[in-house]
Amino acid sequence: MLQNDIRKILERFFLANKCTILNEGDNTLTVQLTIEMDKLLMNRPFYWHYLEKTGGTPQPQKVKFAFEQLEDQKIKAEQIHFGSPRLHQIFNSTRDLGSYVRLYEVVNSSGIRTSLHPWLNINAKIEYKTNLSKQQLLSIGINLISGKIVFDFIDLVNRRNLTSKIPDYCFTLSPLITPKSGINRIRTVIEHVINTNDNNWINDANNRIDHDLNLLNAFYEDETEITEEYTREKEAIQELFNPQINVEPVNGGIFYLKSDLSA
Amino acid sequence: MKLPINYNTEWEEGFLKRFDEDGPWSSHELFQLSYEIEKNTLITEFEGLQSIKYLPHLTIYNHQLEVARNVIEDMNGKAILADEVGLGKTIEAGLILKELMIRGLVKKALILVPASLVSQWAFELNQKFYIPAIPQKKEYVWETCDVVVSSIDTAKRNPHKDIVLNQNYDLVIIDEAHKLKNAKTKNYEFVKLLKKKFCLLLTATPVQNRIEEIFNLVSLLKPGHLGNEKRFGEKYEAKNRKFTNGEHLKKLVNSIMIRNRRADTGMEWPKRVVHNIKIDFSKTECELYEAIRNVRTSEMGMSNAFTLLTLEREACSSREAVYMTLKKWLQEEDISIYRKSQIDFLMEKIHRVEKNSKAEKAVEIIKSINDKVIIFTEYRATQVYLQWYLKQNGITSVPFRGGFKRGKKDWMKELFKERAQVLIATEAGGEGINLQFCSNMINYDLPWNPMRLEQRIGRIHRLGQENDVHIYNFSTKDTIEEQILNLLYEKIHLFERVVGELDDILEKIKKINIEEYITDALSYSSSKKEVELKMHHLTELISEINEDEEELDAAK
Repeated sequence: MLQNDIRKILERFFLANKCTILNEGDNTLTVQLTIEMDKLLMNRPFYWHYLEKTGGTPQPQKVKFAFEQLEDQKIKAEQIHFGSPRLHQIFNSTRDLGSYVRLYEVVNSSGIRTSLHPWLNINAKIEYKTNLSKQQLLSIGINLISGKIVFDFIDLVNRRNLTSKIPDYCFTLSPLITPKSGINRIRTVIEHVINTNDNNWINDANNRIDHDLNLLNAFYEDETEITEEYTREKEAIQELFNPQINVEPVNGGIFYLKSDLSA
Repeated sequence: MKLPINYNTEWEEGFLKRFDEDGPWSSHELFQLSYEIEKNTLITEFEGLQSIKYLPHLTIYNHQLEVARNVIEDMNGKAILADEVGLGKTIEAGLILKELMIRGLVKKALILVPASLVSQWAFELNQKFYIPAIPQKKEYVWETCDVVVSSIDTAKRNPHKDIVLNQNYDLVIIDEAHKLKNAKTKNYEFVKLLKKKFCLLLTATPVQNRIEEIFNLVSLLKPGHLGNEKRFGEKYEAKNRKFTNGEHLKKLVNSIMIRNRRADTGMEWPKRVVHNIKIDFSKTECELYEAIRNVRTSEMGMSNAFTLLTLEREACSSREAVYMTLKKWLQEEDISIYRKSQIDFLMEKIHRVEKNSKAEKAVEIIKSINDKVIIFTEYRATQVYLQWYLKQNGITSVPFRGGFKRGKKDWMKELFKERAQVLIATEAGGEGINLQFCSNMINYDLPWNPMRLEQRIGRIHRLGQENDVHIYNFSTKDTIEEQILNLLYEKIHLFERVVGELDDILEKIKKINIEEYITDALSYSSSKKEVELKMHHLTELISEINEDEEELDAAK
């Protein structure tokens, strides 16, 4: 991620959270936090506690972010880059604050009543894990009336105009498929994707387990009974290599769309 | 092959609740941003290092990147990091920890380091790697913090021990791991008991004396990799002098150990400039030394020969060192009248010594350097004396000892950096402080184990050192010290060599523990002739190996 991408993310994050951008320098960005953002990011519970007790005027902080090392050491600024804990705190907050949406497609109905179809969307991160790990991100949508499934859902709906309030003259169709069973169908799709992937890594991981267990058995071959030590080492080997697949939805929601989606 | 899939249901529950209750819903922008962040930080391959992107300000050398990649991808995250002193093993370990954390493979990590390094490790992990590592100070830290730095001596003692052994660590890092070479020690036992998935052992000197040492280290990481103890012994032990299995062993060891040499890194290194300084004793110093030598040679081969040898070495350092040892002997209950009169005689000689010629030389050199200097001595009494003597000569100094508490060590290092010209360290202080801001070292007396000397020099000759490093080796003329200097340090050109080659030599000498060998030869031979013979034998052995090396080098 380039410094410029990081700047854009910060701007979007703070604007979406109703903060004011006070100043945009070449290498800096200065933000006036809201009370909520101050509480969320600045880790000063005592100040807020004190303020609540005394009833003073809240003064949320201003923060200056620097995207490069500033020449003037006197300027107080937070260095921000891809590895900085502050950026990852903001990433995590974005995730918490952006987990669930309900959106409607903007329809220019010119007074005609228009029906909108309910779509359930899940964006899920799949983690493939042994002593190594990799991830895959799937964006899946299901039409809760027809049962149609689409991949890359987010990219498809991003071509349309979306709003959080239902547009005039529009009404939503009730789902024939309940959200609960919609979720289950998406799960089945995810499992299908996983199973059609190249799964050699699972065999490789199991081979590594066998290899190390063979060594371990040879190491303890002179022991007459199974010792605690042996069991501990054995568990450690399994723990290390044991192949795992974890699925975790990042975010998702319910979308009401005018016409069908196609790729 | 199909695996069960672990599905996190938290999101679904939250969604269904919101669907039923019609909200609260997130803003479209934050939803979209969250998705994009996820997409941009996604790790799509098993291979490759993500951590580099997270550490834009850190200078990482190629050999360090290669080590991190190798350890994670090819060695399954279990390895001995055995780069030569000063090549940045801490950086390598930090990179590996960072990478495994980013990839979600490590959450809980334990870092065991010498007490003097606890703060430094925690500081570097926080500052350089943005890893929130906590130096263990309170008991609850073990359970509540994810990345904990501690000394092994603290961790292995109760009440800590039971708590630590109860934790499931994803990664354990052990610095200065050569201390675990002996499988019969408490430390070894303790590390063996830790529950760990990944494990890194850091040491610049994986083999100091004996081949079993590597067996013990490897067996901590991967039991069975070198067979079990019995088989290993049969295969590689001294009986098998020819080392027909040597190549095989080397291959096995190399699949679990990475060792970079300075020469391999392709970096420009500051030079080592060695000054061997021979010092004349004053008349009275000489008399004290001769008196001790006479006692020793007259009692050669007897049971106390070893302690008398110590005394003789001490006489080369300072009369204070001799005095402290004699005083201790006097306090022994079963001391014979003969011995007592001997000691009185030596005490008399001590009182006559009116100066310390080495100390005078040291002052002369320190004044001419006019920059920071580290003095290493083997003896506590010499350390105290030097501190006093330097002060008399208007030179500021701070002491440094292994026995100092962690906080005091940090403080002394800081004082040396900011305020004092000289740091006077005893041997135990040699490990684990990094003093690359200083480029001069005086070896006031020399250790008999070449690896320990390398450890000393490694304190200043390491990454970050910008100047040529000057090493001043003191030896007093016509003494045992001069003999050893000639033997060890001139014959094997130790100072110009790098430790890598030195291991090769030591590995070839295998069964010989040089330090023990010399001590043995000097203490337990029945005649002077025998001593000379044995020393000659050792010298020959070393130079033979040397020539082999040179021929090999020439053949390359």
